[in-house]
Amino acid sequence: MKARASWIEEIWRIVVLLTIALVVGAAFEKTLLSLFIALAGYIAKYLYNLKRMADWLDEQKKTAVPVNFGLLGDICSRISRLTSRHAHRESRLTRLVDEYSASTSALPDGTVALDAKGHILWFNEAASRLLGLVAAKDIGQPLPNLFRNPEITSFIKAADYARTLETRAPGNPQLVLEVRLAPYGDGQTLLLAQDITDRIVQERVRKDFVANVSHELRTPLTVISGFIENLQADDDLPKDRLRRPLELMSQQAAMMSQLVEDLLLLARLETTSAAAYRTEVDMAAMLVAVAEECRGIRADAPNIDVQLETEKRLLGDEKQLRSAVSNLAVNAVHHTPAEGSVTLTWKEDAGGARLVVSDTGEGIAPAHIPRLTERFYRVDTGRSRDRGGTGLGLAIVKHVFKRHQAELEITSQLGRGSQFTCRFPAACTIA
Amino acid sequence: METSDLNQHYSQQFNSELEEIRSRVLGMGGLVERQLEMGIAALNSGESGDAEAVVSNDYMVNACDVEIDERCTKILALRQPTASDLRLVLAVIKTTADLERIGDEAKRVARMAIRAAAGDHGRNLYGQIAHLGSQVQRMLHRALDAFARMDVDEAIEVAHEDVNIDREFESVMRQSMTYMMEDPRSIPNVIDLIWAARSLERIGDRCCNISEYVIYFVKGKDVRHISLDQIKKEFG
Repeated sequence: MKARASWIEEIWRIVVLLTIALVVGAAFEKTLLSLFIALAGYIAKYLYNLKRMADWLDEQKKTAVPVNFGLLGDICSRISRLTSRHAHRESRLTRLVDEYSASTSALPDGTVALDAKGHILWFNEAASRLLGLVAAKDIGQPLPNLFRNPEITSFIKAADYARTLETRAPGNPQLVLEVRLAPYGDGQTLLLAQDITDRIVQERVRKDFVANVSHELRTPLTVISGFIENLQADDDLPKDRLRRPLELMSQQAAMMSQLVEDLLLLARLETTSAAAYRTEVDMAAMLVAVAEECRGIRADAPNIDVQLETEKRLLGDEKQLRSAVSNLAVNAVHHTPAEGSVTLTWKEDAGGARLVVSDTGEGIAPAHIPRLTERFYRVDTGRSRDRGGTGLGLAIVKHVFKRHQAELEITSQLGRGSQFTCRFPAACTIA
Repeated sequence: METSDLNQHYSQQFNSELEEIRSRVLGMGGLVERQLEMGIAALNSGESGDAEAVVSNDYMVNACDVEIDERCTKILALRQPTASDLRLVLAVIKTTADLERIGDEAKRVARMAIRAAAGDHGRNLYGQIAHLGSQVQRMLHRALDAFARMDVDEAIEVAHEDVNIDREFESVMRQSMTYMMEDPRSIPNVIDLIWAARSLERIGDRCCNISEYVIYFVKGKDVRHISLDQIKKEFG
């Protein structure tokens, strides 16, 4: 509307000017000249206003509109409104960015935003503190150039958003960080680093405590077991009344000793660093030996089969592996009736080699499976304790396999049987 | 129009090649930092597990050395870089060589840790070089940070740190001599200790070299055989 009004204004102006020119020209009989002068003057004024407009546009701070009449005036006022709208929007965005910066500064965890190529877009104060990044200089650098821990480079490249990585802070080896990634936007990634030093320290304190207590209990238990044995062998004592109590005491002392040994083994497995295993272990022979052992566990033992599909050996610790395999096999035998069968399998697969202990026993309910390898977790408390189990067997199995860079996988169907599978990577196998 | 598109393509390609060798040399630096960290930790803790890993992983450091040199040679031959690009490639080549040597020294430290763990002797001796060890670790970290940022000020500070390292090394030597004089049976163990300390001191010297390459890249001036005071006067 405004546009049309200013057009009309403009046209009126021209019409009036030309009319005056005509009249004046007619009066002096020089109409053409008069018209020419009028038009020339009009164009000159227009050009002059255009120049003023151009100068006005160049100004940083907009002063008042230079022309407010006609078409040019209309254009000027529109430009003026556009500029002030932009200024408002800019100040609103700046405020939003400031608020956002303030909130990310307050985050206790280090946050670094990375573009698709892994270059740093921005990071917060916590990231500066935990990762040693410097605000002014590091924007635009690939993060692995500054956060150089070898695992970080492959972690970022793998872009595995489900995993977290535990690593030491760069330049500050006392700090332990937990790092995770989160994708956002168009191929961008957020890297989050949390300081978990306290948690690690507490875990270490707990583990040391358990190990120390177990160690302290060992000697007194040995003394007690020893004397019970002596009393049992002593012929001068009234046997009838004392036989049963001594038997029970001996059994319980043995259980406690076994528990202490298991706890100490577990503590050792958890805390010492896994040395590179150099000895070759003949898994085939071990399975055969364990199977033989299991056949003697009880009179009505189920059928025990050994399936060997490969002769590959494993790089590892013979004793630890033997104890783990034995644990699994004995468990299987205990949970399978006489008509059932237990199968020990050692075979090759795509990633390396696989050990499977499967049975056709009573199976395990799905609710129990994720917790099976927890210490002292029992599916059926009464029965396994009676059989002398410590509740630590599967925890030990899990840790032994972990130290051999393998994972324990448990599947089961209630009433049909269970399978305990362990996959070893090819790097640990020797043909 | 076509030529300029092609030129832009070449220069983008070239830029990404330069960026690649920078990233790779810093990745190698991270690997070497980890090797040193594990070697020193093994020395302090008396357990040889990590130290054995260091010895067996040294091949990875050497592989990086070969690979980065190949890339740099290709860039020099095909791109014929000039000015700061040329200085960058040269700085990367030299830094790679020094990092490979640092990796070797870290392997030596790890070997000493294995011997110390096997012997189960004089653990308190190694407490002496724990401080030297952490100083050297810090120095390597800062040298690599300076390289990543091409920060001359940081590089000069790192070069300055070498004086402290040398002083610390001398103090370890004096302690070692005292131990040897007090108890001649400890001499084999103390000699091992001296080898480890010497390796650490050598690492300090190499970090100094790396910071000199940083200054060379940024300022275009070879400062390798100029005294630290002169460097500070010119660029400090």
